Amino acid sequence: MKYLVTDDSKLARLTLLKSLKVHVGDAEIFQAENGAIAVDIVKNEKPDIVFLDLTMPVMDGYEALDKMMEINKNLKVVVVSADIQEKARERVINSGAQLHVQKPINADKMLEILEII
Amino acid sequence: MNPITLTEDEKDVLQELMNVAYGNATAVVAEMLDAFATLSIPNIKVMETSALLEEFQSLKGSSYFFSTQAFVGEFSGESAFFIDNESAQNLSTHLELESEDDLDDAILELTNVLTSSLTTRLAQEMDTEVRFSLPSISKVPLGEIANNQTFKEYSQVIVIDTQLIFEDQKINGEIFILTKDGSIEWLKNRLNIILEALM
Repeated sequence: MKYLVTDDSKLARLTLLKSLKVHVGDAEIFQAENGAIAVDIVKNEKPDIVFLDLTMPVMDGYEALDKMMEINKNLKVVVVSADIQEKARERVINSGAQLHVQKPINADKMLEILEII
Repeated sequence: MNPITLTEDEKDVLQELMNVAYGNATAVVAEMLDAFATLSIPNIKVMETSALLEEFQSLKGSSYFFSTQAFVGEFSGESAFFIDNESAQNLSTHLELESEDDLDDAILELTNVLTSSLTTRLAQEMDTEVRFSLPSISKVPLGEIANNQTFKEYSQVIVIDTQLIFEDQKINGEIFILTKDGSIEWLKNRLNIILEALM
């Protein structure tokens, strides 16, 4: 399995990576600091699961999600954001995300996510 | 523009809404930093921007990391987060950060998580939605805070002020939620709708 962690904050990426590595060990994990880079990685590296922040420079998570779904409509995307408003949730789920969860994600929460998707 | 004031009942409702929102934000930030955190009971007041800037001068220390993040919707405004140099260095030590850039990044993420979790919950309680901009950061000597563009955009503000404290790590921050003039009227209306529903 290949994973992609997308967040403009290095701290947020490292927090998520730490939780993810507890469960997936040495799996291949890519990182992106904005939506545009993430879309390129989805296109070129074909990850199986994407963790995607919403508020990012260059290209935000909403636009990136739409572009990712155009590339691979079966891609599993978990939106990870501090913004868990209903409208945000509806929008990302309607765009094809599997889950919309609140930051931060500890190892226990990560296990739940991986089991769900 | 006539000064707007909040009645005691309106303040009471806002205080209660904020208590719920701050409880949520405290839990999120504590988990993010893997440390026990407390947020002081928010202090709510309507004031002229000039008076707010005078209040900032009373913050201890000489220099701060200062970050802001705007939110827009029926309830619009901006959060301003201050963390003094010593606390910022303690944050860096706690997170084992390796550079100044990493520290900026951590403060921005802290601002993003604080603002989003606070404002999201507050918006939910008021049955509305908000959208967030990217946070930005600067290192500001106190004397220059008044020149910051953030404060030039407000004439009157509702200030919701609280302290974020990580006692064991000696990290203190102060967050202000500033609402734009038009939003103060909207907020008053919404608080009264909530009040009437309780009667």
